[in-house]
Amino acid sequence: MTFKRIVNVIEVVTLVIAIAFVVALFANEPGGSGGAARSGPGYDVYLENCARCHGQDGQGGIGPKLAGGAVVNAFPDEADQIRLVEGGEGTMPSFRGDLSPAQISEVVEYTRSGLK
Amino acid sequence: MPVKLLGILLAGAAASIALGVYGRVHDPTGEKPYTLFFSETINLKVWFASAALLFAAIQVLLALRLYDKIHVPRTAPPWLGDAHRLTGIVTFGLTLPVAYQCLWALGFQSTDTRVLLHSLLGCFFFGVFTIKVLAVRTNGLPNWLLPVVGGTVFATLVLIWTTSSVWFWREFGFPSF
Repeated sequence: MTFKRIVNVIEVVTLVIAIAFVVALFANEPGGSGGAARSGPGYDVYLENCARCHGQDGQGGIGPKLAGGAVVNAFPDEADQIRLVEGGEGTMPSFRGDLSPAQISEVVEYTRSGLK
Repeated sequence: MPVKLLGILLAGAAASIALGVYGRVHDPTGEKPYTLFFSETINLKVWFASAALLFAAIQVLLALRLYDKIHVPRTAPPWLGDAHRLTGIVTFGLTLPVAYQCLWALGFQSTDTRVLLHSLLGCFFFGVFTIKVLAVRTNGLPNWLLPVVGGTVFATLVLIWTTSSVWFWREFGFPSF
């Protein structure tokens, strides 16, 4: 097999893989059947700002798991969690300025009681 | 503007916009879809992106030789064009798992300037890449198009890498496997 043919084969294989990735983008769309409450202001703030790292249902991902009482165990005092959301730490960004104090309170409350 | 050129540019724009819209509309899962042989998805992304940049740099060097802008080796081997194509394919292949994780798990974000820039460049990259692939296979286009688009693809990849891998190194240190 000539080099040109090898490159042609690799090209076709790569194209197939690319198509598979595009299909997977839609095939793996979350179904939205988790146990978390899916309404309310805290949920909206969570979905917009937190879900991409902590998962839609707080199951964890890039960021740690929050659901199932994990966040309450990590922060028995709610004020400590609010301080973390405001100031950030490590890979966790600061949301001071991006979210109002009311929004931070709402989203913290949501993670503590809305994420089952 | 020739119809062919316009068509190719529109196809690239459509690819970029489609990715941006998907990233914005899709609810980020925040999950780690795969780690392969890496300890963390983020490490996979940093290494794959860095490898993609390396292959892209080799492709640029091969292109410079194809266009006779550099003269090493003195006599261009007959397989130079295919080697150029192969490095491009490998570059593209390496970006796929990175882009998938970005889009599916993180989506199009605008939390700060770096993240917004990275999101925009990520969408732009695949649009320009589409233009380049189509331009290579289309006759009758202006001679300047391929070098300009190829250079843009490489420059975009450098910026994407800078706003992600370099940022990661600076924030968290050299990534492990």
